Amino acid sequence: MFRKILIANRGEIAVRILRACREMGIPSVCVFSEVDRSSLHVRLADEAYFIGPAPSRESYLRIDKLIDVARRSGSNAIHPGYGFLAENPALPRACADAGITFIGPSAETMETMGSKIAGKQLARRSDVPTVPGTDDPIENPNDVQSLARAMGYPVVLKAVAGGGGKGMRVVPNDEAFSACWRDASSEALNAFGDSRVFLEKYLEAPRHIEIQILADSHGRVVSLGERECSVQRRHQKVIEEAPSTIMTPDLRRKMGEAAVRLARAGGYVNAGTVEFLVDARLNFYFLEVNTRLQVEHPVTEQVTGLDLVKLQIAIAAGHRLPFAWETITPRGHAMEVRLYAEDPDNNFFPCPGKIVARRIATGPGIRLDEGVYRGWTVPLEYDPLLSKLIAWGNSREETIARLRRALDEYTISGIRTNVSLFRRILAEPEFLAGEIHTKWLDQLLARPRPPLVPPGPGTQAAAAIAAAYWASIQPGGAANGPSPAAEPSRWKLEGRRSQLDRQP
Amino acid sequence: MKFEVYLDSVTGKSKHLVELEKNGSSYKVSLDGQGVDADVILTTPNAVSVILNGAAFEFHIAPTPDGAYRLQTGPHEFHAEVRDPRSWLARKQRALEAEGRQQILAPMPGKVIRLLVKVGDEVEAGQGLIVVEAMKMQNEIRSPKKGKVERLQAKEGQPVNAGDILAWVD
Repeated sequence: MFRKILIANRGEIAVRILRACREMGIPSVCVFSEVDRSSLHVRLADEAYFIGPAPSRESYLRIDKLIDVARRSGSNAIHPGYGFLAENPALPRACADAGITFIGPSAETMETMGSKIAGKQLARRSDVPTVPGTDDPIENPNDVQSLARAMGYPVVLKAVAGGGGKGMRVVPNDEAFSACWRDASSEALNAFGDSRVFLEKYLEAPRHIEIQILADSHGRVVSLGERECSVQRRHQKVIEEAPSTIMTPDLRRKMGEAAVRLARAGGYVNAGTVEFLVDARLNFYFLEVNTRLQVEHPVTEQVTGLDLVKLQIAIAAGHRLPFAWETITPRGHAMEVRLYAEDPDNNFFPCPGKIVARRIATGPGIRLDEGVYRGWTVPLEYDPLLSKLIAWGNSREETIARLRRALDEYTISGIRTNVSLFRRILAEPEFLAGEIHTKWLDQLLARPRPPLVPPGPGTQAAAAIAAAYWASIQPGGAANGPSPAAEPSRWKLEGRRSQLDRQP
Repeated sequence: MKFEVYLDSVTGKSKHLVELEKNGSSYKVSLDGQGVDADVILTTPNAVSVILNGAAFEFHIAPTPDGAYRLQTGPHEFHAEVRDPRSWLARKQRALEAEGRQQILAPMPGKVIRLLVKVGDEVEAGQGLIVVEAMKMQNEIRSPKKGKVERLQAKEGQPVNAGDILAWVD
């Protein structure tokens, strides 16, 4: 097993990983930028090293500094977490050069499986269904149009170099084709300096369902079942759950086998996620592979009882996976919400700042993975993810009830959070019925918001009393009046008297 | 002690008169001129527990940049401004402030990236004064009134905290 593990990340995921290290008895080494000196991962770490200024390209993205810290601290493994360098093949390569174990797949696997086009080609070779379309960019619009006709509308044009919806156009019918082609290629040229686009069949209202896999270095690959992440805002996952409401044992087996086949074909080792789109007729299509631990991994942990981070470390240390089966049936239901420091009433504007007070949610079926505490200032330089609130229960209904209860318990003051968004989603009849797809939340947010549950007259009266009481105990009488708690200071009295003297 | 509490929530605005009278270790509370059965204590540094006619509430309280309070309880939120009616001086100063010189405060922590006006410029109500960037998003801070930029505290590239004074408009 490893002597020491360097955690090349920050925030809640750094805390999550160091907890796994501690449970395994492995000392953890954390790194921090200028603004993270007081962050929770540094407070909990066994060792912590400063790696530079706040901007991540000068700190958390500096491979040279990370390798240097690993050497100085005597760490012989690096866990990248998610984000930052987690999917950058340069990090495993630098680790290999320095004789350090990278906790994740090899650089070569990252390159073949992580890229959208290479991943799709691998999926075709390993008989994993992909969204029908062209593998390669097509230069001639006439060729593309005849292909689109053959495939049947609607189709979607996507920039080869694309991402984030730029250079992407849904073509509803043949008449609209040439205008969409022009828009997509010129937008791609402007955004990425590369006008090439490729063509795919457009799936209406698909679900995003992904399969968590684990693969050891001895050739064993297992599927830990699915997570459904269809609730997304502008392609960002907002709520994740397992199992999916549309899953059948047969579909789970088929999707699990496809994911395992793909991982085998790519020589994948460690934890990974194979993402699929699933249409209304339960056809599934390969989307991409995430060659790392996912933000939403706790959902799988709660329904399988496994600790994915500890298994990642064990796999990297060359251990065999301790299971006999290849697919697992989840027990109960789990759901995660991502609490961000952003204001849902103000177009999800980020709201970093100081957390002046906090009450956490606990109790049956509740897990809180976070990197925040009372008195900490959320830095504005990084992703504003505060906490992941995870609930689990015997059924989806019980899980949702627990999540609602926990959201009412969990209070953060001083900064705004997106908690009201989850209250709204968790009350939507369509969500409760499991009738969701990847566009569902964007459509919901475009609809007028239902009126908020008004506070009762008792709540209002109690709020007035609480506010007055609070003002009365503020030092210096923040209520624009004298404080009753203490004798007014003689300095203040003297100051007031001299001020009064000056009044005519 | 008497307080005027101006509450604002989804149900609208309301004004309440709250009287707190120390009674041993607790308080005698009256609301809008009527004595009520209320027990109020501080539970944690920023939380106040109120038991009103047997109904229990806990409010988490934080100051807002405009000098008022934000109260949260479960899914409900209140904005509360508390005034002590006896403090006429404070009210007079407040009134002067509202009509006269306006402080422009940073609504969020961030970095000043652009100044859109110079000292001495005449500005209209709603005109952009300063651009503050937070988490890669740019936010224009506007003038609350028509007037003249009297002072500019903010400098381009300067990091600011929520509530920091950026400028004065008179």
